[in-house]
Amino acid sequence: MSGVSIGEGRVTFDNVSRFYGEVLGVNRVTLAIPPGITSLVGPNGSGKTTLMNLMTGLVRPTRGEIRVLGIPPDDSEPLGRTVGYSTQFDAFPRGLTGFQVVASFLRLFGYDQTTCGRLAGAAIERLRMTDAADRKVAAYSKGMRQRIKLALAIAHDPQVLVLDEPLNGLDPLVRAETIALFRELAAQGKHVIVSSHVLHEVDQISDQVILLSNGYVVAEGQIQGVRGEIQEQPMQVLIRTNRSSALASRLFEFDHVVEARLEEGGAAVLIKTRDSGRFYRALNQLALDGIDIEGVMPVDDNVNSVYEYLIGGEGSR
Amino acid sequence: MTKLWLAQVASVMRLELKKSFFARRGLWIYLLAFGPALLYLIHAIDVTRDHEHRQALLKSHPVETSTLQLIEPRMPEEKVLALVGEPYQRDTFRFGRRQLATFTRLHYTDGDSDYSIGIVNGVVARIDRQDRCNVEKDSAIFATVFQFFYLRLAVFFGCVGIFMNLFRGEMLDKSLHFYLLAPMRREVLLAGKYFAGLFAAVVIFTLGTALQIAALSWHFEPGQVAAYMHATGWSDIASYLGVTALACAGYGSIFLAAGLVFKNPIIPATAVMLWEGINLFLPAALKKISVIYYLQALCPTVAAPESDINPLLRLLISSAEPPAAWLALTGLAVVTLIVLAVAGLRARQLEINYGTE
Repeated sequence: MSGVSIGEGRVTFDNVSRFYGEVLGVNRVTLAIPPGITSLVGPNGSGKTTLMNLMTGLVRPTRGEIRVLGIPPDDSEPLGRTVGYSTQFDAFPRGLTGFQVVASFLRLFGYDQTTCGRLAGAAIERLRMTDAADRKVAAYSKGMRQRIKLALAIAHDPQVLVLDEPLNGLDPLVRAETIALFRELAAQGKHVIVSSHVLHEVDQISDQVILLSNGYVVAEGQIQGVRGEIQEQPMQVLIRTNRSSALASRLFEFDHVVEARLEEGGAAVLIKTRDSGRFYRALNQLALDGIDIEGVMPVDDNVNSVYEYLIGGEGSR
Repeated sequence: MTKLWLAQVASVMRLELKKSFFARRGLWIYLLAFGPALLYLIHAIDVTRDHEHRQALLKSHPVETSTLQLIEPRMPEEKVLALVGEPYQRDTFRFGRRQLATFTRLHYTDGDSDYSIGIVNGVVARIDRQDRCNVEKDSAIFATVFQFFYLRLAVFFGCVGIFMNLFRGEMLDKSLHFYLLAPMRREVLLAGKYFAGLFAAVVIFTLGTALQIAALSWHFEPGQVAAYMHATGWSDIASYLGVTALACAGYGSIFLAAGLVFKNPIIPATAVMLWEGINLFLPAALKKISVIYYLQALCPTVAAPESDINPLLRLLISSAEPPAAWLALTGLAVVTLIVLAVAGLRARQLEINYGTE
């Protein structure tokens, strides 16, 4: 969109710190989150929820500045219309049904009753909760409450969705449907910011990740880019070929290859290289030289590995 | 924009009213509000039964009021009996080492009042009369109970229960983010919650006041009630109901603000109760920074506690001219608005930090 600065189309944190008394929430965070699915990954206490609370105005930064598509989180009126937040808290106003929770929330936007009913019904339908919509939320299972929270977050069609552990408590089928919904929303150009502990799901759904540890952002960006910047850990690539030994000995001639190991009973070679660019160029050359390569699969350019390399075993799961 | 804010206030009120009226944790507020009415009702039943008993005694021992009033001290017992006949009850006590002296009590009733004639050594020593409750006497009792129990304790603590929970309760329930995530100014949220609390408090406590008045006047003859209503009754009732509503507005604003600042309601409640309690002893200028000062000025009957107070404390009482009604209303409105403005500023800074609650 011409005339719109980068900050206006992104969720930005400029040197943001938040302390709870003596306790660090997040420190010196500078980020610019683009549209698409962004996952916040980190162990418990790493600052994921604090970051989400900061961008939704539920807490204020001790230092620094935040803008959500150009809106300061203090400005609750435009922010509330722009952001939908599914928090980790399961509490709702008492005595209401799922439908009433969503409709009552929409009434706070100033919509008339008919519009509220229509939007609430549509959001609940999107989360496949129509059958349970007229039951009291207090009687819902964890998964149903999770879905009502998601319905609450998407009901007003916000441009930015902030979802704290949104897949918690969902059964596999609903999980898949919910991930599809995130993808659909991201495809519409929305920001979908998700925190999750389940790394293989983060891997599946994320366009980019933000890795947090002890209140600091340790890495951000597309997962392959993040992995490429971890120089101290050689990149691992599994190559399937019927000439494993020949391939391994040829690759060992390159100085950036630090290890070559036969795997899968000799049907594949696991290579560790310090320079993935030079490695892939060399591999192309070897293929042209007649070595039949059946498949190439990067082994550790996923969130799990990046998490393991950058944050270590402290929060890995 | 104003239309949007009004719609948002109405939406917040709709959600909050249920909580304010039907909170399980709020049962004690109903006890505070309706407890006094229950006591007045018990009193009214007691007075009615007593009156019926006196009427029955009058039938079995008929005597005229005018005849009873002829009994004088030092009148011989025989003359008393000749004048008014046998009492419906006679109690005789003997005292002294050899029990030679006697004290006799003769009980009569004219249907409304009880007369107890004390006879010592055969002559009238004292005449005690216990009148049936009358409107003036009960009005004075009501004024004292209203100002020193109902306003200072029942409405006061009721407002602690209703208003302090509006924000603090949701912080404890971890549900406040429901409102804070809506596109709504915090001041609008505060207004919605305040009006919901106020509506609930006013309904509960003015109903309590009305029931007290109804219970209190239940045992009077319809004629007595009609005469009182014709004189000052309606304006007195309107004043009491109005003062109750204003008390809810004043104390409500204070405890709404306190709920945004304090985690423990006991601290502000104790501090405000002390401040309101020592109002009698405060210099005139400080008296004006309290709710009770204006409320008492608006009550139709000013209850005077001075007679019951320790003489040393009485020396400390500072007299301040009670403000005129319009001034009292303005003062109360100013105090309420200032407190709400402070609460609004605090609400702007409000953060969700459920972990520390």
